[in-house]
Amino acid sequence: MSDTSTNNDTTAKTDDTTSTTAITTIEALHEYLGRAMQLEHATIPPYLTALYSLHPQTNSAANQVLRVVAVEEMLHLTSVANLMNAVGGQVDLTAPGFVPEFPTYLPDGEEDFQVNLACFSPATLETFLKIERPAAAPDEARRLMPARRRTDIMVTAPGDPELRYYSIGEFYAEIERGFNYLHDRHGDQLFSGDPTHQAGPEYYYSGGGELRRVVDIDSARSSIELIIGQGEGVGTGAFDAENELAHYYRFEQLKLGRYYQLGDEPHHPTGPDCEVDWSAVYPTQTNPRVGDLSGFPELQETAVSFNRFYADFLALLTKAFNGEPELLIEAVPKMFEIRNKATVLIRNPIPGSSATHSAADPTPDGPMHAAPTFEMESQ
Amino acid sequence: MGPDRLDRFLALSAELTAFDVVELAGTGESDAYLATVDRIVGTGAVDALLDAHTAISEPPGQARDHQLRHSMLGDEFLGPLARNVIKLWYVGIWYQLPRSWREVNGARDGDVTFTISANAYTQGLLWPAVGANPAGARAPGWASWTEPPRLAKL
Repeated sequence: MSDTSTNNDTTAKTDDTTSTTAITTIEALHEYLGRAMQLEHATIPPYLTALYSLHPQTNSAANQVLRVVAVEEMLHLTSVANLMNAVGGQVDLTAPGFVPEFPTYLPDGEEDFQVNLACFSPATLETFLKIERPAAAPDEARRLMPARRRTDIMVTAPGDPELRYYSIGEFYAEIERGFNYLHDRHGDQLFSGDPTHQAGPEYYYSGGGELRRVVDIDSARSSIELIIGQGEGVGTGAFDAENELAHYYRFEQLKLGRYYQLGDEPHHPTGPDCEVDWSAVYPTQTNPRVGDLSGFPELQETAVSFNRFYADFLALLTKAFNGEPELLIEAVPKMFEIRNKATVLIRNPIPGSSATHSAADPTPDGPMHAAPTFEMESQ
Repeated sequence: MGPDRLDRFLALSAELTAFDVVELAGTGESDAYLATVDRIVGTGAVDALLDAHTAISEPPGQARDHQLRHSMLGDEFLGPLARNVIKLWYVGIWYQLPRSWREVNGARDGDVTFTISANAYTQGLLWPAVGANPAGARAPGWASWTEPPRLAKL
Protein backbone atom coordinates (compact mmCIF):
# COMPACT_ATOMS: atom_id res chain seq x y z
CA MET A 1 0.00 0.00 0.00
CA SER A 2 1.04 3.55 -0.46
CA ASP A 3 2.43 5.35 2.56
CA THR A 4 1.15 8.64 1.25
CA SER A 5 -2.39 7.46 0.86
CA THR A 6 -2.19 5.70 4.21
CA ASN A 7 -1.32 8.90 6.00
CA ASN A 8 -4.00 10.86 4.23
CA ASP A 9 -6.58 8.21 4.92
CA THR A 10 -5.84 7.91 8.60
CA THR A 11 -5.90 11.66 9.04
CA ALA A 12 -9.29 11.80 7.41
CA LYS A 13 -10.54 8.91 9.51
CA THR A 14 -9.40 10.46 12.74
CA ASP A 15 -11.53 13.47 11.95
CA ASP A 16 -14.81 11.94 11.03
CA THR A 17 -14.84 8.35 12.14
CA THR A 18 -14.16 8.64 15.84
CA SER A 19 -17.86 9.05 16.44
CA THR A 20 -18.74 6.00 14.38
CA THR A 21 -16.29 3.41 15.62
CA ALA A 22 -17.66 0.43 17.50
CA ILE A 23 -14.44 0.27 19.49
CA THR A 24 -14.60 2.82 22.26
CA THR A 25 -12.87 0.97 25.08
CA ILE A 26 -9.56 -0.80 25.37
CA GLU A 27 -11.45 -3.94 26.35
CA ALA A 28 -13.38 -3.78 23.09
CA LEU A 29 -10.13 -3.32 21.21
CA HIS A 30 -8.72 -6.42 22.92
CA GLU A 31 -11.81 -8.31 21.89
CA TYR A 32 -11.51 -7.23 18.27
CA LEU A 33 -7.82 -8.09 18.18
CA GLY A 34 -8.54 -11.48 19.71
CA ARG A 35 -11.06 -12.08 16.98
CA ALA A 36 -8.56 -10.88 14.40
CA MET A 37 -5.96 -13.39 15.57
CA GLN A 38 -8.52 -16.14 15.38
CA LEU A 39 -9.41 -14.96 11.92
CA GLU A 40 -5.83 -14.91 10.64
CA HIS A 41 -5.17 -18.33 12.02
CA ALA A 42 -8.47 -19.80 10.75
CA THR A 43 -7.35 -19.34 7.17
CA ILE A 44 -4.08 -21.22 7.63
CA PRO A 45 -5.33 -24.83 7.96
CA PRO A 46 -7.49 -24.52 4.81
CA TYR A 47 -4.66 -22.94 2.84
CA LEU A 48 -2.14 -25.54 3.99
CA THR A 49 -4.51 -28.43 3.26
CA ALA A 50 -5.03 -27.17 -0.28
CA LEU A 51 -1.31 -26.52 -0.73
CA TYR A 52 -0.23 -29.96 0.42
CA SER A 53 -2.93 -31.66 -1.62
CA LEU A 54 -1.04 -30.74 -4.79
CA HIS A 55 0.98 -33.56 -6.26
CA PRO A 56 4.68 -32.91 -5.83
CA GLN A 57 6.39 -31.31 -8.81
CA THR A 58 3.10 -30.33 -10.41
CA ASN A 59 0.99 -27.22 -10.29
CA SER A 60 3.85 -24.85 -9.66
CA ALA A 61 1.56 -21.82 -10.07
CA ALA A 62 -0.97 -23.00 -7.50
CA ASN A 63 1.83 -24.17 -5.25
CA GLN A 64 3.50 -20.80 -5.28
CA VAL A 65 0.30 -18.79 -4.79
CA LEU A 66 -0.94 -20.94 -1.93
CA ARG A 67 2.43 -20.94 -0.25
CA VAL A 68 2.90 -17.19 -0.45
CA VAL A 69 -0.59 -16.51 0.84
CA ALA A 70 -0.30 -18.97 3.71
CA VAL A 71 3.04 -17.53 4.76
CA GLU A 72 1.65 -14.00 4.67
CA GLU A 73 -1.25 -15.09 6.86
CA MET A 74 1.38 -16.19 9.34
CA LEU A 75 2.90 -12.73 9.12
CA HIS A 76 -0.54 -11.24 9.74
CA LEU A 77 -1.12 -13.46 12.74
CA THR A 78 2.18 -12.30 14.19
CA SER A 79 1.37 -8.68 13.38
CA VAL A 80 -1.94 -8.91 15.22
CA ALA A 81 -0.17 -10.50 18.17
CA ASN A 82 2.12 -7.46 18.18
CA LEU A 83 -0.90 -5.14 18.09
CA MET A 84 -2.49 -7.03 20.98
CA ASN A 85 0.70 -6.97 23.04
CA ALA A 86 1.20 -3.28 22.31
CA VAL A 87 -2.09 -2.39 23.97
CA GLY A 88 -1.65 -4.72 26.92
CA GLY A 89 -3.90 -7.54 25.74
CA GLN A 90 -3.44 -11.25 26.25
CA VAL A 91 -2.28 -13.51 23.42
CA ASP A 92 -3.33 -17.14 23.78
CA LEU A 93 -3.45 -19.41 20.76
CA THR A 94 -4.22 -22.37 22.99
CA ALA A 95 -7.54 -21.02 24.29
CA PRO A 96 -10.49 -23.36 23.70
CA GLY A 97 -12.13 -22.53 20.40
CA PHE A 98 -9.15 -20.64 19.04
CA VAL A 99 -8.79 -23.22 16.30
CA PRO A 100 -12.21 -23.50 14.67
CA GLU A 101 -13.97 -26.73 13.94
CA PHE A 102 -14.30 -27.11 10.19
CA PRO A 103 -16.47 -26.31 8.30
CA THR A 104 -16.52 -22.92 9.91
CA TYR A 105 -17.72 -19.43 9.34
CA LEU A 106 -14.91 -16.97 9.62
CA PRO A 107 -14.49 -15.59 13.14
CA ASP A 108 -15.08 -12.07 11.88
CA GLY A 109 -18.69 -13.02 11.19
CA GLU A 110 -18.85 -13.35 7.41
CA GLU A 111 -22.01 -15.37 7.06
CA ASP A 112 -22.53 -16.01 3.39
CA PHE A 113 -20.00 -18.80 3.14
CA GLN A 114 -18.28 -21.44 5.19
CA VAL A 115 -14.68 -22.50 5.00
CA ASN A 116 -13.79 -26.18 4.61
CA LEU A 117 -10.66 -28.17 5.01
CA ALA A 118 -10.49 -29.52 1.48
CA CYS A 119 -8.14 -30.36 -1.32
CA PHE A 120 -7.35 -27.83 -4.01
CA SER A 121 -10.26 -27.66 -6.46
CA PRO A 122 -12.33 -25.03 -8.28
CA ALA A 123 -14.79 -24.96 -5.36
CA THR A 124 -11.96 -24.54 -2.85
CA LEU A 125 -10.53 -21.72 -4.91
CA GLU A 126 -13.94 -19.98 -4.93
CA THR A 127 -13.95 -20.09 -1.14
CA PHE A 128 -10.45 -18.66 -0.98
CA LEU A 129 -11.54 -15.82 -3.25
CA LYS A 130 -14.39 -15.08 -0.85
CA ILE A 131 -12.04 -15.12 2.12
CA GLU A 132 -9.81 -12.57 0.45
CA ARG A 133 -12.46 -10.58 -1.34
CA PRO A 134 -11.83 -6.87 -1.65
CA ALA A 135 -13.52 -4.78 0.99
CA ALA A 136 -15.22 -2.62 -1.55
CA ALA A 137 -15.40 -2.33 -5.29
CA PRO A 138 -11.93 -1.37 -6.46
CA ASP A 139 -13.20 1.80 -8.09
CA GLU A 140 -14.99 2.96 -4.97
CA ALA A 141 -13.63 5.61 -2.71
CA ARG A 142 -10.47 4.73 -0.88
CA ARG A 143 -12.02 5.03 2.49
CA LEU A 144 -13.87 2.02 3.79
CA MET A 145 -17.57 2.03 4.19
CA PRO A 146 -19.26 1.02 7.40
CA ALA A 147 -20.91 -2.30 6.71
CA ARG A 148 -24.18 -1.84 8.48
CA ARG A 149 -26.01 -1.09 5.29
CA ARG A 150 -25.30 -4.53 3.91
CA THR A 151 -26.95 -7.79 4.82
CA ASP A 152 -24.97 -10.17 2.64
CA ILE A 153 -22.18 -9.82 5.04
CA MET A 154 -19.54 -11.85 6.72
CA VAL A 155 -18.02 -10.30 9.76
CA THR A 156 -19.95 -9.74 12.97
CA ALA A 157 -18.58 -7.26 15.40
CA PRO A 158 -17.61 -8.73 18.75
CA GLY A 159 -20.31 -7.87 21.22
CA ASP A 160 -22.71 -6.66 18.59
CA PRO A 161 -24.11 -9.29 16.27
CA GLU A 162 -26.03 -6.62 14.39
CA LEU A 163 -22.86 -4.98 13.27
CA ARG A 164 -21.18 -6.88 10.47
CA TYR A 165 -18.40 -6.31 8.08
CA TYR A 166 -18.59 -7.15 4.46
CA SER A 167 -14.99 -8.21 4.39
CA ILE A 168 -11.90 -8.77 6.43
CA GLY A 169 -10.65 -5.44 5.12
CA GLU A 170 -13.54 -3.59 6.66
CA PHE A 171 -13.13 -5.50 9.90
CA TYR A 172 -9.54 -4.25 10.09
CA ALA A 173 -10.62 -0.76 9.11
CA GLU A 174 -12.84 -0.81 12.20
CA ILE A 175 -9.85 -1.84 14.28
CA GLU A 176 -7.86 1.01 12.84
CA ARG A 177 -10.64 3.46 13.66
CA GLY A 178 -10.67 2.02 17.18
CA PHE A 179 -6.94 2.63 17.52
CA ASN A 180 -7.42 6.20 16.31
CA TYR A 181 -10.32 6.80 18.65
CA LEU A 182 -8.57 5.37 21.69
CA HIS A 183 -5.34 7.15 20.87
CA ASP A 184 -7.25 10.42 20.77
CA ARG A 185 -8.65 9.64 24.23
CA HIS A 186 -5.66 8.09 25.94
CA GLY A 187 -2.69 9.38 24.01
CA ASP A 188 0.41 7.21 24.08
CA GLN A 189 -0.79 5.54 27.26
CA LEU A 190 -2.82 3.38 24.92
CA PHE A 191 0.44 1.58 24.19
CA SER A 192 0.90 0.27 27.69
CA GLY A 193 2.17 -3.16 26.68
CA ASP A 194 5.62 -4.51 27.46
CA PRO A 195 7.76 -3.62 24.43
CA THR A 196 9.93 -6.72 24.96
CA HIS A 197 6.94 -8.81 23.90
CA GLN A 198 7.11 -7.39 20.39
CA ALA A 199 8.33 -9.72 17.66
CA GLY A 200 10.49 -7.78 15.24
CA PRO A 201 11.74 -8.38 11.70
CA GLU A 202 14.64 -10.49 12.93
CA TYR A 203 12.12 -13.26 13.68
CA TYR A 204 10.38 -13.32 10.35
CA TYR A 205 11.67 -14.07 6.91
CA SER A 206 10.73 -15.22 3.43
CA GLY A 207 7.25 -13.82 3.20
CA GLY A 208 6.68 -10.57 1.28
CA GLY A 209 6.49 -7.91 3.91
CA GLU A 210 8.24 -6.96 7.06
CA LEU A 211 7.22 -7.75 10.58
CA ARG A 212 7.04 -4.47 12.51
CA ARG A 213 7.18 -3.81 16.20
CA VAL A 214 4.10 -1.94 17.38
CA VAL A 215 4.98 0.73 19.91
CA ASP A 216 2.93 3.77 18.91
CA ILE A 217 0.02 4.87 16.77
CA ASP A 218 2.09 5.12 13.60
CA SER A 219 3.44 1.58 13.82
CA ALA A 220 -0.02 0.33 14.76
CA ARG A 221 -1.53 1.94 11.69
CA SER A 222 1.15 0.69 9.37
CA SER A 223 0.78 -2.88 10.68
CA ILE A 224 -2.96 -2.80 10.07
CA GLU A 225 -2.51 -1.29 6.63
CA LEU A 226 -0.04 -4.04 5.76
CA ILE A 227 -2.60 -6.69 6.63
CA ILE A 228 -5.36 -5.03 4.65
CA GLY A 229 -3.16 -4.30 1.68
CA GLN A 230 -1.71 -7.81 1.40
CA GLY A 231 -5.03 -9.51 1.87
CA GLU A 232 -7.64 -7.82 -0.15
CA GLY A 233 -6.02 -4.83 -1.67
CA VAL A 234 -8.51 -2.30 -0.33
CA GLY A 235 -8.59 0.80 -2.42
CA THR A 236 -5.24 0.05 -3.97
CA GLY A 237 -6.24 -1.95 -7.02
CA ALA A 238 -4.68 -5.33 -7.56
CA PHE A 239 -1.16 -4.20 -6.69
CA ASP A 240 0.02 -2.35 -3.61
CA ALA A 241 2.60 0.42 -3.59
CA GLU A 242 5.39 -2.14 -3.40
CA ASN A 243 4.01 -3.75 -6.56
CA GLU A 244 2.91 -6.78 -4.59
CA LEU A 245 -0.23 -8.48 -5.78
CA ALA A 246 -2.94 -8.77 -3.09
CA HIS A 247 -4.10 -12.27 -2.11
CA TYR A 248 -7.44 -11.96 -3.84
CA TYR A 249 -5.77 -11.30 -7.16
CA ARG A 250 -3.14 -13.97 -6.65
CA PHE A 251 -5.94 -16.50 -6.32
CA GLU A 252 -7.86 -14.96 -9.19
CA GLN A 253 -4.93 -15.76 -11.51
CA LEU A 254 -5.52 -19.46 -10.88
CA LYS A 255 -9.20 -19.07 -11.65
CA LEU A 256 -8.69 -17.04 -14.80
CA GLY A 257 -5.66 -19.00 -15.98
CA ARG A 258 -3.64 -15.87 -16.50
CA TYR A 259 -1.04 -13.98 -14.49
CA TYR A 260 -1.37 -10.33 -13.65
CA GLN A 261 1.32 -7.95 -14.72
CA LEU A 262 1.98 -4.45 -13.47
CA GLY A 263 -0.55 -1.95 -14.70
CA ASP A 264 -3.37 -4.48 -15.07
CA GLU A 265 -6.82 -3.48 -13.92
CA PRO A 266 -8.47 -5.70 -11.29
CA HIS A 267 -10.17 -8.78 -12.80
CA HIS A 268 -8.38 -8.28 -16.13
CA PRO A 269 -4.95 -9.89 -16.00
CA THR A 270 -2.95 -9.66 -19.21
CA GLY A 271 0.23 -11.54 -18.27
CA PRO A 272 1.39 -15.00 -19.33
CA ASP A 273 -0.77 -18.13 -19.05
CA CYS A 274 -1.15 -19.43 -15.53
CA GLU A 275 -1.61 -23.18 -15.82
CA VAL A 276 -3.48 -25.26 -13.30
CA ASP A 277 -3.72 -29.04 -13.41
CA TRP A 278 -6.82 -29.75 -11.36
CA SER A 279 -6.27 -33.48 -11.69
CA ALA A 280 -2.79 -33.44 -10.14
CA VAL A 281 -4.31 -33.31 -6.69
CA TYR A 282 -4.80 -35.84 -3.91
CA PRO A 283 -8.58 -35.98 -3.37
CA THR A 284 -8.56 -35.57 0.39
CA GLN A 285 -11.53 -36.10 2.64
CA THR A 286 -13.33 -32.80 3.20
CA ASN A 287 -13.43 -31.66 6.83
CA PRO A 288 -11.87 -34.89 8.09
CA ARG A 289 -12.18 -36.18 11.64
CA VAL A 290 -9.86 -38.43 13.59
CA GLY A 291 -12.94 -40.50 14.43
CA ASP A 292 -13.44 -41.32 10.76
CA LEU A 293 -10.20 -43.29 10.81
CA SER A 294 -11.16 -45.64 13.62
CA GLY A 295 -10.83 -48.68 11.34
CA PHE A 296 -7.25 -47.79 10.47
CA PRO A 297 -5.13 -47.58 13.61
CA GLU A 298 -1.85 -46.55 11.94
CA LEU A 299 -3.53 -43.82 9.97
CA GLN A 300 -5.55 -42.65 12.94
CA GLU A 301 -2.45 -42.51 15.13
CA THR A 302 -0.74 -40.43 12.44
CA ALA A 303 -3.68 -38.00 12.41
CA VAL A 304 -3.71 -37.80 16.21
CA SER A 305 0.02 -37.23 16.29
CA PHE A 306 -0.32 -34.41 13.77
CA ASN A 307 -2.90 -32.70 15.97
CA ARG A 308 -0.76 -33.15 19.04
CA PHE A 309 2.21 -31.63 17.21
CA TYR A 310 0.08 -28.73 16.03
CA ALA A 311 -1.27 -28.10 19.53
CA ASP A 312 2.29 -28.06 20.88
CA PHE A 313 3.24 -25.69 18.10
CA LEU A 314 0.45 -23.25 19.03
CA ALA A 315 1.61 -23.47 22.65
CA LEU A 316 5.13 -22.61 21.54
CA LEU A 317 3.85 -19.60 19.57
CA THR A 318 1.86 -18.51 22.61
CA LYS A 319 5.03 -18.56 24.70
CA ALA A 320 6.85 -16.64 21.98
CA PHE A 321 4.15 -13.96 21.97
CA ASN A 322 4.25 -13.72 25.75
CA GLY A 323 7.73 -12.40 26.20
CA GLU A 324 10.01 -14.92 24.48
CA PRO A 325 10.01 -13.78 20.84
CA GLU A 326 13.28 -15.62 20.22
CA LEU A 327 11.26 -18.84 20.35
CA LEU A 328 9.92 -17.89 16.92
CA ILE A 329 13.26 -19.03 15.50
CA GLU A 330 12.67 -22.45 17.01
CA ALA A 331 9.12 -22.42 15.66
CA VAL A 332 10.21 -22.21 12.04
CA PRO A 333 11.64 -25.75 11.70
CA LYS A 334 8.48 -26.97 13.38
CA MET A 335 6.45 -25.40 10.61
CA PHE A 336 8.38 -27.48 8.09
CA GLU A 337 7.77 -30.49 10.27
CA ILE A 338 4.07 -29.67 10.12
CA ARG A 339 4.40 -29.76 6.35
CA ASN A 340 6.13 -33.14 6.44
CA LYS A 341 3.51 -34.61 8.74
CA ALA A 342 0.65 -33.17 6.71
CA THR A 343 1.95 -34.58 3.45
CA VAL A 344 2.30 -38.07 4.92
CA LEU A 345 -1.41 -38.01 5.80
CA ILE A 346 -2.46 -36.51 2.49
CA ARG A 347 -0.59 -39.08 0.41
CA ASN A 348 -2.35 -41.91 2.20
CA PRO A 349 -5.55 -43.20 0.65
CA ILE A 350 -8.18 -44.22 3.19
CA PRO A 351 -8.59 -47.95 2.50
CA GLY A 352 -11.98 -48.87 1.13
CA SER A 353 -13.10 -45.28 0.63
CA SER A 354 -14.00 -43.71 -2.65
CA ALA A 355 -14.27 -40.14 -3.75
CA THR A 356 -16.55 -39.48 -6.67
CA HIS A 357 -16.89 -36.03 -8.06
CA SER A 358 -19.44 -34.50 -10.37
CA ALA A 359 -18.63 -34.38 -14.04
CA ALA A 360 -18.01 -30.67 -13.68
CA ASP A 361 -15.43 -31.19 -10.93
CA PRO A 362 -12.01 -32.08 -12.32
CA THR A 363 -10.78 -33.48 -8.99
CA PRO A 364 -9.69 -37.09 -9.56
CA ASP A 365 -11.95 -39.90 -8.40
CA GLY A 366 -10.59 -42.88 -6.52
CA PRO A 367 -9.99 -43.56 -2.87
CA MET A 368 -10.34 -40.55 -0.62
CA HIS A 369 -7.12 -39.49 0.96
CA ALA A 370 -6.54 -38.68 4.59
CA ALA A 371 -5.67 -35.15 5.70
CA PRO A 372 -4.82 -33.30 8.89
CA THR A 373 -7.98 -32.74 10.93
CA PHE A 374 -6.74 -29.80 13.06
CA GLU A 375 -8.96 -30.98 15.91
CA MET A 376 -7.54 -29.40 19.03
CA GLU A 377 -10.23 -29.76 21.70
CA SER A 378 -9.90 -33.50 22.03
CA GLN A 379 -6.19 -33.30 22.71
CA MET B 1 -1.92 -53.80 -11.16
CA GLY B 2 -4.79 -53.76 -8.71
CA PRO B 3 -4.85 -52.02 -5.37
CA ASP B 4 -4.52 -55.41 -3.74
CA ARG B 5 -1.12 -55.88 -5.30
CA LEU B 6 -0.05 -52.43 -4.14
CA ASP B 7 -1.23 -53.29 -0.62
CA ARG B 8 0.85 -56.46 -0.70
CA PHE B 9 3.86 -54.52 -1.93
CA LEU B 10 3.41 -52.03 0.91
CA ALA B 11 3.08 -54.82 3.46
CA LEU B 12 6.27 -56.40 2.15
CA SER B 13 8.04 -53.06 2.13
CA ALA B 14 6.94 -52.23 5.67
CA GLU B 15 8.50 -55.46 6.90
CA LEU B 16 11.68 -54.92 4.94
CA THR B 17 12.20 -51.28 5.90
CA ALA B 18 10.85 -51.19 9.48
CA PHE B 19 8.71 -48.19 8.55
CA ASP B 20 4.97 -48.60 8.75
CA VAL B 21 2.63 -48.63 5.77
CA VAL B 22 1.31 -45.14 6.49
CA GLU B 23 4.84 -43.76 6.49
CA LEU B 24 5.64 -45.56 3.26
CA ALA B 25 2.48 -44.43 1.48
CA GLY B 26 3.11 -41.00 2.95
CA THR B 27 6.15 -40.62 0.72
CA GLY B 28 3.84 -40.58 -2.30
CA GLU B 29 6.22 -43.02 -4.04
CA SER B 30 4.45 -46.38 -3.62
CA ASP B 31 3.12 -46.57 -7.17
CA ALA B 32 6.38 -45.42 -8.68
CA TYR B 33 8.45 -47.98 -6.78
CA LEU B 34 6.19 -50.92 -7.55
CA ALA B 35 6.09 -49.88 -11.20
CA THR B 36 9.89 -49.67 -11.25
CA VAL B 37 10.39 -53.16 -9.90
CA ASP B 38 7.72 -54.54 -12.21
CA ARG B 39 9.26 -52.89 -15.22
CA ILE B 40 12.81 -54.05 -14.57
CA VAL B 41 12.44 -57.59 -13.29
CA GLY B 42 8.92 -58.34 -14.52
CA THR B 43 5.66 -58.88 -12.69
CA GLY B 44 6.31 -62.61 -12.40
CA ALA B 45 9.42 -62.05 -10.32
CA VAL B 46 7.66 -59.44 -8.21
CA ASP B 47 4.75 -61.79 -7.63
CA ALA B 48 7.19 -64.44 -6.47
CA LEU B 49 8.57 -61.95 -3.98
CA LEU B 50 5.07 -61.03 -2.77
CA ASP B 51 4.10 -64.68 -2.49
CA ALA B 52 7.22 -65.46 -0.51
CA HIS B 53 6.26 -62.70 1.89
CA THR B 54 2.68 -63.92 2.20
CA ALA B 55 3.99 -67.39 2.92
CA ILE B 56 5.86 -66.25 6.00
CA SER B 57 3.55 -67.48 8.67
CA GLU B 58 5.26 -66.82 11.99
CA PRO B 59 3.90 -63.99 14.15
CA PRO B 60 6.19 -60.98 14.60
CA GLY B 61 9.26 -61.91 16.57
CA GLN B 62 12.54 -63.77 16.26
CA ALA B 63 11.05 -66.77 14.54
CA ARG B 64 9.50 -64.57 11.89
CA ASP B 65 12.76 -62.68 11.39
CA HIS B 66 14.50 -65.98 10.92
CA GLN B 67 11.92 -67.15 8.42
CA LEU B 68 12.19 -63.89 6.52
CA ARG B 69 15.95 -64.15 6.31
CA HIS B 70 15.86 -67.77 5.34
CA SER B 71 13.12 -67.81 2.74
CA MET B 72 13.48 -64.37 1.25
CA LEU B 73 16.64 -62.41 2.04
CA GLY B 74 18.77 -65.57 1.90
CA ASP B 75 17.23 -66.76 -1.33
CA GLU B 76 19.55 -66.43 -4.32
CA PHE B 77 16.81 -65.18 -6.60
CA LEU B 78 14.57 -63.21 -4.20
CA GLY B 79 17.25 -61.85 -1.85
CA PRO B 80 18.76 -59.30 -4.25
CA LEU B 81 15.26 -58.19 -5.28
CA ALA B 82 14.24 -57.68 -1.67
CA ARG B 83 17.42 -55.72 -0.96
CA ASN B 84 16.73 -53.54 -3.99
CA VAL B 85 13.26 -52.81 -2.65
CA ILE B 86 14.82 -51.72 0.64
CA LYS B 87 17.23 -49.44 -1.21
CA LEU B 88 14.43 -47.96 -3.29
CA TRP B 89 12.59 -46.84 -0.18
CA TYR B 90 15.66 -45.65 1.67
CA VAL B 91 17.37 -43.64 -1.04
CA GLY B 92 14.96 -43.46 -3.97
CA ILE B 93 17.49 -45.17 -6.23
CA TRP B 94 17.26 -48.40 -8.19
CA TYR B 95 20.65 -50.10 -7.96
CA GLN B 96 21.74 -52.40 -10.73
CA LEU B 97 21.24 -55.98 -9.57
CA PRO B 98 24.43 -57.79 -8.54
CA ARG B 99 26.48 -59.44 -11.24
CA SER B 100 25.94 -62.87 -9.71
CA TRP B 101 22.17 -62.42 -10.04
CA ARG B 102 22.42 -61.20 -13.62
CA GLU B 103 24.70 -64.07 -14.59
CA VAL B 104 22.24 -66.63 -13.31
CA ASN B 105 18.96 -64.95 -14.26
CA GLY B 106 19.98 -62.90 -17.26
CA ALA B 107 20.41 -59.16 -17.57
CA ARG B 108 17.19 -57.15 -17.65
CA ASP B 109 16.40 -54.11 -19.76
CA GLY B 110 16.61 -50.96 -17.72
CA ASP B 111 18.60 -52.61 -14.93
CA VAL B 112 21.01 -49.77 -14.44
CA THR B 113 21.52 -47.62 -11.39
CA PHE B 114 19.29 -44.56 -11.51
CA THR B 115 17.29 -42.19 -9.31
CA ILE B 116 13.57 -42.87 -9.64
CA SER B 117 12.59 -39.21 -9.69
CA ALA B 118 13.61 -35.90 -8.23
CA ASN B 119 10.92 -36.32 -5.62
CA ALA B 120 11.99 -39.85 -4.71
CA TYR B 121 15.33 -38.55 -3.48
CA THR B 122 13.63 -36.12 -1.10
CA GLN B 123 11.31 -38.85 0.17
CA GLY B 124 14.02 -41.38 1.02
CA LEU B 125 13.56 -43.09 4.38
CA LEU B 126 17.24 -42.47 4.95
CA TRP B 127 16.41 -38.92 6.05
CA PRO B 128 13.88 -39.61 8.77
CA ALA B 129 15.95 -42.64 9.80
CA VAL B 130 18.93 -40.45 10.69
CA GLY B 131 16.88 -37.43 11.74
CA ALA B 132 18.30 -35.27 9.01
CA ASN B 133 17.15 -33.43 5.98
CA PRO B 134 17.80 -34.22 2.32
CA ALA B 135 20.56 -31.83 1.30
CA GLY B 136 19.23 -29.19 -1.05
CA ALA B 137 15.56 -30.11 -0.67
CA ARG B 138 12.66 -30.03 1.79
CA ALA B 139 13.92 -26.91 3.49
CA PRO B 140 14.07 -27.51 7.22
CA GLY B 141 14.03 -23.85 8.28
CA TRP B 142 16.65 -21.41 9.41
CA ALA B 143 18.76 -22.52 12.36
CA SER B 144 17.23 -25.99 12.41
CA TRP B 145 20.78 -27.29 12.26
CA THR B 146 21.41 -25.96 15.74
CA GLU B 147 18.90 -28.45 17.10
CA PRO B 148 19.78 -32.07 17.81
CA PRO B 149 18.70 -34.56 15.13
CA ARG B 150 15.07 -35.56 15.37
CA LEU B 151 14.99 -39.30 15.78
CA ALA B 152 11.28 -39.86 15.96
CA LYS B 153 11.63 -43.61 15.76
CA LEU B 154 13.85 -44.01 18.79
